Amino acid sequence: MNDIVAHLGIGFAVASSWTNLLVAALGSFFGTLVGVLPGLGPINGVAMLIPIAFAMNLPPETALILLAAVYVGAEYGGRITSILINVPGEASAIMTTLDGYPLARQGLANVALSLSAWSAFFGSLVSVCGIIVLAPLLARWALAFGPAEYFVLMVFAFCCLTSLLGNRPVKGVLAAMIGLAIATVGVDANSGVYRYTFDSVHLFDGIQFVVVVIALFAVSELLEMLEKVMGGHSVEVQSSGRKLFNLKELAYTWWSVVRSAFLGFGVGVLPGAGASVAAAVAYSNEKRICENKDPDAKFGRGDMRGLVAPEAAATSSAIGSFVPMLTLGVPGSGTTAVMMGALTLYNITPGPVLFETKPELVWGLIASLFIANVMLFIMNVPMVRLFSKVLSVPGWLMVPGILCVSYIGVYAINAGTFDLIMVAAVGGLGYLMRKGGIPMAPLVLGVVLGDMMEQNLRRALSMTDGAVHILFNSNISKSLWAVSLFIVVVPPLMRYLKLKKLAKARGV
Amino acid sequence: MNDRILGTAALIFAALMVWFGVGIQAPFSYEPVGPRAFPLLLAGIIALCGLWLVFKGLDKAEPNPPQANGRIALMVVYCFLYAFFFQKLGFIVATTAMTILVGRLFGGAWAKVAIGGAVMSVLFFVLFDRVLDVVLPLGILENIL
Repeated sequence: MNDIVAHLGIGFAVASSWTNLLVAALGSFFGTLVGVLPGLGPINGVAMLIPIAFAMNLPPETALILLAAVYVGAEYGGRITSILINVPGEASAIMTTLDGYPLARQGLANVALSLSAWSAFFGSLVSVCGIIVLAPLLARWALAFGPAEYFVLMVFAFCCLTSLLGNRPVKGVLAAMIGLAIATVGVDANSGVYRYTFDSVHLFDGIQFVVVVIALFAVSELLEMLEKVMGGHSVEVQSSGRKLFNLKELAYTWWSVVRSAFLGFGVGVLPGAGASVAAAVAYSNEKRICENKDPDAKFGRGDMRGLVAPEAAATSSAIGSFVPMLTLGVPGSGTTAVMMGALTLYNITPGPVLFETKPELVWGLIASLFIANVMLFIMNVPMVRLFSKVLSVPGWLMVPGILCVSYIGVYAINAGTFDLIMVAAVGGLGYLMRKGGIPMAPLVLGVVLGDMMEQNLRRALSMTDGAVHILFNSNISKSLWAVSLFIVVVPPLMRYLKLKKLAKARGV
Repeated sequence: MNDRILGTAALIFAALMVWFGVGIQAPFSYEPVGPRAFPLLLAGIIALCGLWLVFKGLDKAEPNPPQANGRIALMVVYCFLYAFFFQKLGFIVATTAMTILVGRLFGGAWAKVAIGGAVMSVLFFVLFDRVLDVVLPLGILENIL
């Protein structure tokens, strides 16, 4: 217990230095802007800022705080548009539209916004406490991992991420493999041999992570926007009515918030399941519980409990998804994979040892996730008008702006033309892959984990002189293999059985 | 763009990986698994996925609305041009030009995109290069500024 207090002390000391507070405030603000823009979510905002944070020579903990604040802010911004104009800014905000927009139509837009800010804040409180309790335990457990266990753990992470993609697991596997293949380019750390460099100096160090991320999450995103011409939205925020929720509404929604926050954290800790899954699960869960108890529940027509449930769950799972990245060094979602890539720019490899060697980084990040949420809670209501103004920025200015900021970031890393041309090329290919239905999250995870995965595999195999049984020897690896197999096999099997049942029902 | 094309592309990619990968060999080897094994393993799995998509895949991508493909291709060209001229012409000139071209693609009027581009590029230059210490190329404006 004393340990935890001491660690939190370090964390808050780091996070509440003036620079870091300022960075957290700017990050939450910028993140909210990005989140409000349709089509851009947390992963895009984080991707665009990584190289810029690096080029500004921010120390690693400050850079990480910035990215975390952007992440949380963007999750937040996505909700503003869901509530005001029924357009979810990003995937995890879809559930918010169901009850948020009807509330806004009833003239309760400000109440809905402040209530959603409150539930997101509460969600962050729960999940930060969860991290504080759970992370050191997991990290201690992970210290027992050898190379074989690590390899299996990464296989497990990929299985989680691809099986959650629903009915296209093959494309998820393909995406992961392409990501891993991208990571093999460059000099091989063990033998010093150049692989797939085609004698180009620019490729000796491999394909820059930043290049891949910007290409996939900025350039190809912009290409997708071209499919339909966008006009600016003009939004009217009705200023009539109360600005804040009252105590009665707080009490009315209290248990929904609490339940969803805990549920969200649980979902977030699992690798692969992100904020959108958490929001969906929490919403349907609350709907079931409340409609059983209360025949007057009007879910889908502006029930406040239907608004707070996905909010609390999404935020709490977004923060919970930091747990596998920080403790095991294996990110569980696209966004945390991108963040882990950012850390590798600083030559920091997340993992259990990080808690011992860089406590200020880990605990500073945890503290700042909390601080960012407090800031957003304060910022949210007075600044809604400003944020919704962003929606009226026309596409012809917004798209060049995004492209420009992305290129600035890529240029900042190496100050050369080669990386920029790579961005254009990978961005074009990325668009084609998106059109083919290849998911981007496993691909990024592959790029981030590629090196580590190969190194651990080779290290494990060199212990037994090439015999494969070491990968199945320990109890940890056995259970990880079993769980991986389970998640890969069971969902398609269930779908198959369901289809068969349906066909039977129809046939008879 | 349906699954058959995607699968074929994956097969070609795997073949290329093998073609350029078989020659990878460490001059001295201390470990049982060399630098060649992992890429070839990946190529194998990619090929399997490709085969599955060719024979079993049923997805068809939604066709884009008319003219969208042309605009997207044009946008890719602009991305390449912007990349190519970013350093040569310098940030301000290249960004202004890019904003005009891309802005036109997104339906902005000539005058608006020209003014928007000029203002934005100067603003970003001041913000990033001067305030945030992210060095940007001046290019052809080097002697003037």
